[in-house]
Amino acid sequence: MIQHRKAFRRGVVLALPVAGVLALTACSAAGSGDGDANGFTFTYQTSNNLESPYATLAKEYMKSHPGVTITLNPQPNDRYGQTLRTQLQGGNASDLIQTAPGTGQPHSALTLAQAGFLEPLGKSAASLIPKGSDSLFYIGDKLYAQPVDFTVNGVVYNTTAAAKAGITKFPATTEELVQNCKTLSAKGMSFVALAGGAPPNLIQITQVISATRVYAENPDWNQDRSTGSVTFANTQGWRDTLQTIVDLNKAGCFQAGAQGSGFDAITNGLSRGTALAGFIPGGSAKELMSAAPDQKMVVQAFPPAQGGKTFTLGGSNYSLSVNAASTKKKAIQDFLDWLAQPQNAKRYAEISGAIPVSGLESVDLAGSAYQPVEPLLRSGSYAPLPTTVWPNESVADAISSGVQGLLTGQNTIDQVLAKMDAAWDQ
Amino acid sequence: MTASTHRGDRSLAAGQRPATPRAGTPGRPPRPRRPRPLIAFGHWWWALPAIIAVTAIHYAATAAGGFFAFTDWSGIGSFEFIGWDNFTRILADPVQLGALRNTLLIAFGSVVLTNVIGLGLALALNRGLKTRYVLRVLLFMPVVLSPLAVSYIWKFIFEYNGPLNQFLGALGLTSLQKAWLADPTWSIWVILVVVVWQNTGIAMVIYLANLASVDPGIEEAAALDGAGVMQRFRHITLPSIRPAIAISTTLGLINGFRVFDQIMALTGGGPAGATETLATEVYKETFSLGNFGYGAALALMLTVIILVFAIVQQRVTRDRSKEGQ
Repeated sequence: MIQHRKAFRRGVVLALPVAGVLALTACSAAGSGDGDANGFTFTYQTSNNLESPYATLAKEYMKSHPGVTITLNPQPNDRYGQTLRTQLQGGNASDLIQTAPGTGQPHSALTLAQAGFLEPLGKSAASLIPKGSDSLFYIGDKLYAQPVDFTVNGVVYNTTAAAKAGITKFPATTEELVQNCKTLSAKGMSFVALAGGAPPNLIQITQVISATRVYAENPDWNQDRSTGSVTFANTQGWRDTLQTIVDLNKAGCFQAGAQGSGFDAITNGLSRGTALAGFIPGGSAKELMSAAPDQKMVVQAFPPAQGGKTFTLGGSNYSLSVNAASTKKKAIQDFLDWLAQPQNAKRYAEISGAIPVSGLESVDLAGSAYQPVEPLLRSGSYAPLPTTVWPNESVADAISSGVQGLLTGQNTIDQVLAKMDAAWDQ
Repeated sequence: MTASTHRGDRSLAAGQRPATPRAGTPGRPPRPRRPRPLIAFGHWWWALPAIIAVTAIHYAATAAGGFFAFTDWSGIGSFEFIGWDNFTRILADPVQLGALRNTLLIAFGSVVLTNVIGLGLALALNRGLKTRYVLRVLLFMPVVLSPLAVSYIWKFIFEYNGPLNQFLGALGLTSLQKAWLADPTWSIWVILVVVVWQNTGIAMVIYLANLASVDPGIEEAAALDGAGVMQRFRHITLPSIRPAIAISTTLGLINGFRVFDQIMALTGGGPAGATETLATEVYKETFSLGNFGYGAALALMLTVIILVFAIVQQRVTRDRSKEGQ
């Protein structure tokens, strides 16, 4: 009995430090990856169980570069920004991290760079910066993020369902679109599938409509707002943007119960053909068509008001940045240089459904989902996604809360615009 | 070694542990003194790791959060000490005042409803009914389910195309169909229904435990004396279960103030902030919008509110009959 007790006590004495060492090892493993001089860790966001384009490209890189080990740390996209911030603050973030260009989101590259968490990048990324978007990637002359995609943010439109409903061409004006809404409502369908209970979709619809109402008139509106020469409240374009959402709602353009719907309303509506359009990034058209091969989807710009100018949003939604605390900067820069090569940029675009970031000039969009917006892209009639330029996350939050309030009748347009201004100035 | 120990004298000072064999065992050789073990059972410091862990993880973290409530920290980088500014902003922000109203509504609404329904169920299932054990299990089951998972099921039920609206449609009540979770008037009540449904079981069990100690003989005697059901309940049952009321309402109130999972799963605080509470605002400001200092100030306010109401509630429900004894 005494022997048993002694053995137990000895076990306890040994177990405590062993457990401590294991716990510390587990904690450090998340950040440091392996000891391989050519290896590094890579964090990116993921929203489904499909293999991420980053994972595919990392595997292809490891195959073509024997001896390099990339340890992948995918994170759920709903908590990605906060997870990344916590890891950076705690000193255990991955060596290479997926960021978003500009400011305005928790994982925005320039916000993280200003806090000293990012390392300036080499020259290979400079040639990839979309035209007119330098301010989303640079602080002074230092580049902090390498874009990986060119995404068109407009309307994903189901042409198969539209043809079945008797609509042969995409409306050229908002007024035409509203007329179509009435026809579709009578058939138990809706023109737009809206996820009114999901803040990102409310932010997206507002931004996409603002392209024709605000940025077509004044592409430098964000710059003007920064200097204080304009506000949301005193810009007619923003007032018209919100009024358009109210008008679409009143005309029955959204599905019944849209104000509380989630993203499943969009995926189900578009893939089943009960709705014709959704305000989602252009790359989603490919995903939806793979889920519903009998439906053809294309990317369209939201139609302007009568007499208005057609305009859309385009730019890089995703970028890669280097953790300033990383000790594997050479290995990471080699990987980023490889990614910047045109054939690899094209490969990323193929997998993700985006347009290659390596340059619109060399891309043939004929026959692709982007064909309808090709003239706009070729003529430069697009602006970057506004939220990537705005100074903080609160402006987008004011939009999502405010627009849902417009749909439910809780808010007026004046109230929403005032909240957006207050959020910008905070 | 002294002479006294040779004689077997055990007149040790009070509190001193005997180091040698007890008196009255003549002929038994004294046991050799064992070396003090490295780890022995029954010592207070066995609790030390737990005390350190609780202090470091809970109290130190809370204190640090309290400190950041007086800063403008964004969650990364440097920060500045800004005094009471965060609290001033909170009290001037109609969104936060709305969240405070919702917090109080859910806390008090849930504590009243869960306790009234829980007590009713406990009384119904206390004695007599043959199926009471099965019914107790069924009614307690929601308590052990994950609030988040259950809330997603409720979300499905309350969706516009969900079973509730379909049921109303089948009854011909199409005018009552609505987007329940996106309705500014109804959404907060939907959340209250889900919270009450999930927490009633725990109140029922607390009352059942206390009712088991109430002597049926007293009630029978009162009934023989002509006391009605309500009189027996008011003058015998209710005073007997006062401790259960105190515990159940205190736990219910604290849980009501902290409701988070159900709101995030059902409405995310919407529509347009109609179901935001202090708990969801703490999360949103701190983790979604990067206003760590402001979120910490909200969390500190929530902690103080819970503390104040818990103390007040304890004083209101304490048993005064034993005071002065």
